[in-house]
Amino acid sequence: MDKILLKKALPQWVKKLQAYRIYAPTKDEDIWTYEVVNTPEDIDLEFLTTALSPKKIIFPQREVYFEFEKPDVDNPDIKETLPEDDPTIVLGVRPCDAKALTLTDLVFGGDFKDVYYWKRRNQTYLVGLACHTPPSPNCFCLSVDGSPHSKEGLDILLTDLGDKYYVESLTKNGDKLLNLAKNLFKLPSAANKKEYQKIQAESEKNLKRQITNLKKVPPKLKGMWDSPFWDDEAMSCLRCGICTYMCPTCHCFDINDEVLSSTPLKGKRIRTWDTCQFPDFTMHSSGHNPRPDKASRLRQRIMHKFQYFVETYKNYQCTGCGRCITKCPVSIDIIEVLEKVRDYGS
Amino acid sequence: MINVEDLRKEAKRILKEGKVKYVIGYERDQNGLLPKPAFIKDPDDVDRMIWDPTCIHNLTKFLVDEKKRKAAEKKPDERPVGIVVKGCDSRAIVVLLQEKYIDREDVHILGLSCENYGVIDEKKLAKKLKGKKAEKIELDDHGNFVITAAGGTIKIPADELLAERCLECPANFPVVYDLLLGDKKKKKVDEPFKSLEKMESLSENERWSFWTEQLSKCIRCYACRSACPMCYCDECVVDTINFAVTADTTATEKAGKIKWVEKSPAPSENFVYHMVRAMHLAGRCIDCGECERVCPLDIPLRFLNKKLEKEAKKLFGYMAGFDPDEPSLVSSFKDEDPEDFIR
Repeated sequence: MDKILLKKALPQWVKKLQAYRIYAPTKDEDIWTYEVVNTPEDIDLEFLTTALSPKKIIFPQREVYFEFEKPDVDNPDIKETLPEDDPTIVLGVRPCDAKALTLTDLVFGGDFKDVYYWKRRNQTYLVGLACHTPPSPNCFCLSVDGSPHSKEGLDILLTDLGDKYYVESLTKNGDKLLNLAKNLFKLPSAANKKEYQKIQAESEKNLKRQITNLKKVPPKLKGMWDSPFWDDEAMSCLRCGICTYMCPTCHCFDINDEVLSSTPLKGKRIRTWDTCQFPDFTMHSSGHNPRPDKASRLRQRIMHKFQYFVETYKNYQCTGCGRCITKCPVSIDIIEVLEKVRDYGS
Repeated sequence: MINVEDLRKEAKRILKEGKVKYVIGYERDQNGLLPKPAFIKDPDDVDRMIWDPTCIHNLTKFLVDEKKRKAAEKKPDERPVGIVVKGCDSRAIVVLLQEKYIDREDVHILGLSCENYGVIDEKKLAKKLKGKKAEKIELDDHGNFVITAAGGTIKIPADELLAERCLECPANFPVVYDLLLGDKKKKKVDEPFKSLEKMESLSENERWSFWTEQLSKCIRCYACRSACPMCYCDECVVDTINFAVTADTTATEKAGKIKWVEKSPAPSENFVYHMVRAMHLAGRCIDCGECERVCPLDIPLRFLNKKLEKEAKKLFGYMAGFDPDEPSLVSSFKDEDPEDFIR
């Protein structure tokens, strides 16, 4: 279902979506973040790459699994705490970030379906915004099987045509959201369609960065476990968690008990984001750490994304959003690392 | 004006003569706005080294790395490491020396004066360039940065682009060095704590709501901790497990370890983390600004450090990082130390 929505009619559409909690990019000084918006005026769809991706909405940094209370030793009370019913729309999702969610879907949707993840995922509708000029100088989606106008994972894709959006509904949920404000959406003219195709073609040319022959990387990585390469590449790494916490596809977590009272024992079991870049991620109870240094942790990040994930899920675990490159305090550049891997030993 | 060739020449000499293991400096990053840290081992690679007002990073964190790496090696190479430092960075070395974390013999210091100016603020520069990439940034003789970017050259008065800390820098040249390049001229700073004025004028409630909002953004990536050369503990209070766990630690002991800070990025936990971080820097922070620069959520962390710096100066007349032979503030006691704030 292809339609046209005038930009000046967007606030009216948003008002018709009041039954939903709406997240959209908002600007705070120099950075954009996805926040719950109360009025259409807070929405900024002229945004550059947001600090965090919409991953934080579906897979929040902190999730309560259950609450426990142990009034007497033999009879603990355990209360499950599933996310509440809260139908949500994320407005202005970049194609790379939507694709990233299709990758975390693979992880949380295997033999064991993660109920917390899927409760949020199934009640969240994604309204995408295609890129024309890349929102980050380090965008490279085309190299990792994505594109600036990819529809993967989205319910609706908007393409900016100047004073209007070209609107494509991609799922039944997308149709539902458009039908809430039927009179705002018009049928596209032949000229609109031509413009839309032109923008798509341009958007691919506008991308500044790429990796050629990435397919050579996964088999190459297999032989590089013991390579001194990782020591050299990780020399400047500071051991922070930026690259993984900002990544739209990283999904590792930790589980802890937050104890609120010791007598009677009372608390919450929570899941929080965790990262392979922290030493305690792999620390054994014995005190032994199989990934003792930053070289082995950088290797893990690259190998997980470009070897293990490829083997298990037939996809790169990277969508080319460029966040890890732009935000790395010491400019460790995943594209350069991959190029060096590709050319290693040849 | 510093000629980068002089720096390269010295780096080449110490590498060739085998005086140092490697040299830590700056090199151009092909894709970013800023340079990146360079680790030069081969004397023929010194031409990669650069020096310009974008050399923001405080490289002394890599001395902490080097010490930890050396500790893990069976037969470590005992030679020193060469390192390029600015004034502020050299003060970090002084603190590490005062605290006996490193020895003077561990490091060969290539000091560069900021020559009355300093380094640029990445965010200010990005705003001026509106998405364009700077190809070259130089300082002219009239106190302007001359920036070459796509579409031509622009001239911007230095004060509009300098990092806040550089505008308040107490000594913009290295205080400890083996080689010093550039002017050792002390810039006159009339108001070293001017950036705090606005924060100090706020009421307690206003400050509380400001910090609640700011620290709620924190995702606990610990980049502020990771970038800080003063944060060198092997065991940090915020890590969920204790590193002092050995094969002999019993299960009861492990279970009994106190968890001071929860991993949840809740405001209460974020406050504790940032309080701990800031308080541990009292009398130690040399205002290199790295914590604030690396924060991916733009939390203005420098305010906290700067305030403590001001308190240390006001109460004890102490400025961190000037004299390696002076005992550090928190480990020394003087009869005349004020105690009227102890209640």
